[in-house]
Amino acid sequence: MRSGIEKKKARWGWFFVLPAIAYFSIFSFYPIANAFHTSLYRWNLLSLNPPRFVWFENYLRLFQSEVFWNSVKATAIFTVGTFVSLLIGSLALSILIFSRKRFRSFFQMALYSPAVLSTVVAATIWLLILDPRGLGNTWMNALMGTSGKDYQWFANPDMSRISTILIYFWKYIGHFTILFIAGLSSIPNTILEAATIDGAGSWKKYWRITFPLLKPTVVLVCVLSLIQCMKSFSTQYLFVQSGAPKAPIDVLTLNIYNTAIRDHQIGRASAISVILFLTLILFSWAQLKLGRSEEVSFQ
Amino acid sequence: MSRTDYPWKRTARSLRGIIFDVILLMILIVVLVPLVFMISASFMESKEVLTMPYRWIPSAFHWENYAQAIQGNDQKYYYARNIFNSLLVAITVTLSNCLFAAMTGFGLAKYRFFGRKIVLLLVMATMMIPFETIMIPLYMLVNNFGWQDSYMGLIMPFLVNAFGIFMMRQYLLTFPEDLLDAARIDGLNELAIFIRVVIPNSIPAMTALGILTFRSQWDSMLWPLLITQSEEMKTIPLYIVKFTTEKYTNEGALMAAAVIASIPLFIVFFSLAKYFIQSSSVFSGSKG
Repeated sequence: MRSGIEKKKARWGWFFVLPAIAYFSIFSFYPIANAFHTSLYRWNLLSLNPPRFVWFENYLRLFQSEVFWNSVKATAIFTVGTFVSLLIGSLALSILIFSRKRFRSFFQMALYSPAVLSTVVAATIWLLILDPRGLGNTWMNALMGTSGKDYQWFANPDMSRISTILIYFWKYIGHFTILFIAGLSSIPNTILEAATIDGAGSWKKYWRITFPLLKPTVVLVCVLSLIQCMKSFSTQYLFVQSGAPKAPIDVLTLNIYNTAIRDHQIGRASAISVILFLTLILFSWAQLKLGRSEEVSFQ
Repeated sequence: MSRTDYPWKRTARSLRGIIFDVILLMILIVVLVPLVFMISASFMESKEVLTMPYRWIPSAFHWENYAQAIQGNDQKYYYARNIFNSLLVAITVTLSNCLFAAMTGFGLAKYRFFGRKIVLLLVMATMMIPFETIMIPLYMLVNNFGWQDSYMGLIMPFLVNAFGIFMMRQYLLTFPEDLLDAARIDGLNELAIFIRVVIPNSIPAMTALGILTFRSQWDSMLWPLLITQSEEMKTIPLYIVKFTTEKYTNEGALMAAAVIASIPLFIVFFSLAKYFIQSSSVFSGSKG
């Protein structure tokens, strides 16, 4: 009787999970397998020749291709630039906000509001601000003490990189600040009070207690922002569409898109996808690995 | 009291507090300036947007910018249709995501069946597949199904999300078993239990997941770019890119289009701020 109920329940279990598994096999597992498979073919969508199996030729060609390495460089610069500035900025801000009891939730909400916008909208606003005649130049001139100088936010290769980083920084600073504040709130007050009684000053408290205990949050934020940045597309796409030079901001996803859709080279695009996939999976794996140690016990 | 409270110390502390408040307020202003710019520019004439010094309050309110944003430069009202598309896609995907996440998460959390561990492993493996890396095969697959330039093409690849399943499973692991057993004694079958007991008790988690999904769909640009060709099938981000790059676009109207695109998210943000912020601390899934 008992085993009968268990069997019935087991069947219900399958009933609940089966649709999702069936769905994933079509829309996730098949495509990822297909990406690996396609990356071994020379395959041009417009060519009349059938796809030709070429083993790892696509990869070899990629590793010799300047365009590919340029993409890797653009992605790396964007990712590291965004990630470092976000990490430092949001950590500092969260400590600042956390030290204030008043208005804390107001500050959080207001800082978070740029993250509510969609990426394209954020990029469009900045496109106008950074226009040669726009506010960006006015501010920079006031800040730098120059007058009437055009900082070429898009035309100059280095500046266009900085502009994309700036947009991302602006959009996500509030988001990561909130993550840090959540981390800070999880540190029990008793520990900090004990340190005060032992005579620790506020800086010492930060260095010796708050930061070490905040490490799990820092790791989480690092990995999340790294992965997020490596996949960024919209801002760079909008920039290129509105006339910025492509090379400095030709990130990997933009490269995949152009290789597949504009050049119709499906095999090559799949090879880039696989490389991106392996890189991202490395980071996700690191997150899972490090996430294990995340549950710090305060007992 | 462990520390002596001299009056001067208190003053110093409150002085530092005021300085901190001022610094924070300044940072806040810097962060909010682009948002204010978007709103004020959306009422300005084209010329005024790029006239320095910038007038933060428009000299006259040009509401026609909004009309122009919706009409488009070609007077064909594609933006209205594209807003409808974005809403339809985002709402459908959100509802289906929540439903399937709760259902699969429930199955994984509360039933012991042969192969359950493997299923959980598969779900976690799916979580690890970033959408950007499978978009090309997915694009060819969807083309083979004949879904190019259609709602099916826009919606189908996002109906179920592994991250959502994982999140709901974690949530439902602690769901009280007694409640389920009580429902069983009342003669409900498992499906009815799911619909009438589990779902009503999972609304907070599903709301957070729903907001997360809605946002990522609203933001999504890469997939619509691949899958749509006609102006009628495009979504908001694509329209904004197109509007930006058109030669005769009036800057004020462009910002009006941006404001319109942001309204739904800000409504959700202000009405469900708690869930909104909660959902951002559980981070985005693999797709979108």
